[in-house]
Amino acid sequence: MATNFWTSTHYKELLDQEEVDAVHNLDKQRGITLEDFKLIKLHMTNYIARLAQNVKVRQRVVATAVTYMRRVYTRRSMTEFDPRLLAPSCLYLASKSEESTVQARLLVFYIKKIYSDEKYRCEIKEILEMEMKILEALNYYLIVFHPYHALPQLVHDAGMSDATQLIWGLVNDTYKMDLILIHPPHLIGLACIYVASVLKEKDNTAWFEDLRADMNMVKNIAMEILDFYDAHKMITDERVNAAMHKLTAEEALAELGGGVDGFGGIVKSCGGGDSEWSWVLLTMCPRNKGPQQYGQCLVQEV
Amino acid sequence: MMSNRGNNMNRPEWLQQYDLIGKIGEGTYGLVFLAKIKSNRSKSIAIKKFKQSKDGDGVSPTAIREIMLLREISHENVVKLVNVHINHMDMSLYLAFDYAEHDLYEIIRHHRDKVNQAINQYTVKSILWQLLNGLNYLHSNWIMHRDLKPSNILVMGDGEEQGVVKIADFGLARIYQAPLKPLSDNGVVVTIWYRAPELLLGAKHYTSAVDMWAVGCIFAELLTLKPLFQGQEVKATPNPFQLDQLDKIFKVLGHPTVDKWATLAHLPHWQSDHQHIQGHKYDSPGLYSVVHLSPKNPAYDLLSKMLEYDPRKRLTAAQALEHEYFRMEPLPGRNALVPPQPGEKIVNYPTRPVDTNTDFEGTASIQPAQQASGNQMSGGMGGTHLMGTRNVPRPVHMVGGMQRIQQQQQQQQNMAAYGLASQAAAAAAGNIPMQQRGVAAPPHQQQQQQQLRRKDGMGMPGYPQQKSRRF
Repeated sequence: MATNFWTSTHYKELLDQEEVDAVHNLDKQRGITLEDFKLIKLHMTNYIARLAQNVKVRQRVVATAVTYMRRVYTRRSMTEFDPRLLAPSCLYLASKSEESTVQARLLVFYIKKIYSDEKYRCEIKEILEMEMKILEALNYYLIVFHPYHALPQLVHDAGMSDATQLIWGLVNDTYKMDLILIHPPHLIGLACIYVASVLKEKDNTAWFEDLRADMNMVKNIAMEILDFYDAHKMITDERVNAAMHKLTAEEALAELGGGVDGFGGIVKSCGGGDSEWSWVLLTMCPRNKGPQQYGQCLVQEV
Repeated sequence: MMSNRGNNMNRPEWLQQYDLIGKIGEGTYGLVFLAKIKSNRSKSIAIKKFKQSKDGDGVSPTAIREIMLLREISHENVVKLVNVHINHMDMSLYLAFDYAEHDLYEIIRHHRDKVNQAINQYTVKSILWQLLNGLNYLHSNWIMHRDLKPSNILVMGDGEEQGVVKIADFGLARIYQAPLKPLSDNGVVVTIWYRAPELLLGAKHYTSAVDMWAVGCIFAELLTLKPLFQGQEVKATPNPFQLDQLDKIFKVLGHPTVDKWATLAHLPHWQSDHQHIQGHKYDSPGLYSVVHLSPKNPAYDLLSKMLEYDPRKRLTAAQALEHEYFRMEPLPGRNALVPPQPGEKIVNYPTRPVDTNTDFEGTASIQPAQQASGNQMSGGMGGTHLMGTRNVPRPVHMVGGMQRIQQQQQQQQNMAAYGLASQAAAAAAGNIPMQQRGVAAPPHQQQQQQQLRRKDGMGMPGYPQQKSRRF
């Protein structure tokens, strides 16, 4: 149902981690590993967020677009659905379903502006064709629930209002993972409040217990979030580039043949591009700030 | 089938699971076709084809919204989306619905023009109850319909679901729990005869109460066979002030006052008072005399509570279902058309006119099967062709339908009567196979004329309709 999560197709279509982590055979043949798979989805999440900021749509649209992109890759391969076209097309579709329609030509314009790399270029027609393919791949299930809606009330009730920005940043960052495909959104929201409580050294045990939510699940999600931040320290532009590079068959073959030209410089061109999205990594682990971190970090809350 | 076998072979695979019967509606969104499922000939499907998008627009946001909602909805009194198909070749989109033979617009018109008799109480009550039941489901899921009118309320014809009411057309519907934009940003909503006073007075934020106002108007129309508030629409963009419509309402219900409707003073058009609506004096004859009901009649009580000016005091769908009216004899039933006890005369309603000449344009053209695909949905139909291809000869006496329609336009102006008698006869025969309806149809002129009147339907998914009706 449209606003009852428990009767919605979003709830009915929730997946297990293993299902989400299944790399499509066509992609495997190109040497894409699970790690590559996650890296590319992370990279595309940042791409969508960056594009969204240029065309000025709100966070909920970004979140829906990212969810669409991640849902598509549970059913279709990256070989068939080039992420560099899928990502902006998901944003295009999400802008319609979230009632903030963005014109395709505007997306095309900003893609050109943001990325000098030609592999990102696309035409209006390609976005429109991809929009229909996405509809099909999603089996026309377009409703997406997000943690945002319930968040202000929960944050207020938990007495965490002074950490609002931190919590919103954490929630935004969860879209860099596949959590939205696996867990009910309110549990993701609670997990972010939990992480924030730990960081702020605020004891919210009693409040959480009163909620009658599945606290084990909330803690598990919180652990996943922390693990993600941990793993993120190891992500470099080179690794993302390498993963993206495998998507282009010819180049992959050339590489097998003689290992020519190295990495395509795909991420290079968007250096710093990930800074727009709230990125609380620094807050979490300030001592690990290093030059080879993938993307920049935006401290929203210090 | 309308096309020859050769053409059929080239149809996209998903389309081959259907036998196309003909066109049943047309609007700005595109065309609506009647089809049968080959594997289950007893099942009729209405296929709504969205027009190809204009350059650079992609799938229309209206279609996206409609699909999004319909995929979530499942209720006996809401029209069922059975399939969505995409033709990648020409970028067209098709929605397949369970087909409903009747709608309230046609039922009311048939009674007024042919039967010359009010709709029996059992039918009125059953239709109203089911309509409220469907609406209660939508509202409890935070979905507003926003465009309820008789032509959007469908009633199932012969078959297992005979007489079951289905709310249709979700092109304007939306979720109102957490909209990103104010509700008024979506442009004009609701055909003006059924439009709630708060909308007419320019409310920016409105509620599901707008749907209840429309139900009140429809209830009155079921009782009297005449639209309750037949205002002249002011055609201008965007969202002009509809003085005449308000005038019609005030004449029946009296002047609204801030006493009874506290937020009235804040409504833009009331506040600005450009056309001096505040100062008008109305000599109200009273709603009960318009609908010919005693003020003590529970039906009147229910109606007046749906037509409450203040949207916050207006009855909700859930409250309406609890009303005394529904607990009195005759009790409402599932088959609104046929009362459980014999005695009442059963009216045979005309079947929907089908234009068997219009081809399923766009998909009838040659396309490789792999270019299009259909996604099967839960409760949908199987893709197998158990019955094989069954070609029905095209009716030879009607050639070049579309052209004919245009030629008939002039004639039509001279014809006043609707002349549906023979259609009623066709419906009475009941078990006439669908594809023969074109043959058994009334004289061409009448049928053509009806199609013509249907052509001005706008934004109506699935079923033909008229945007504004004049009688």
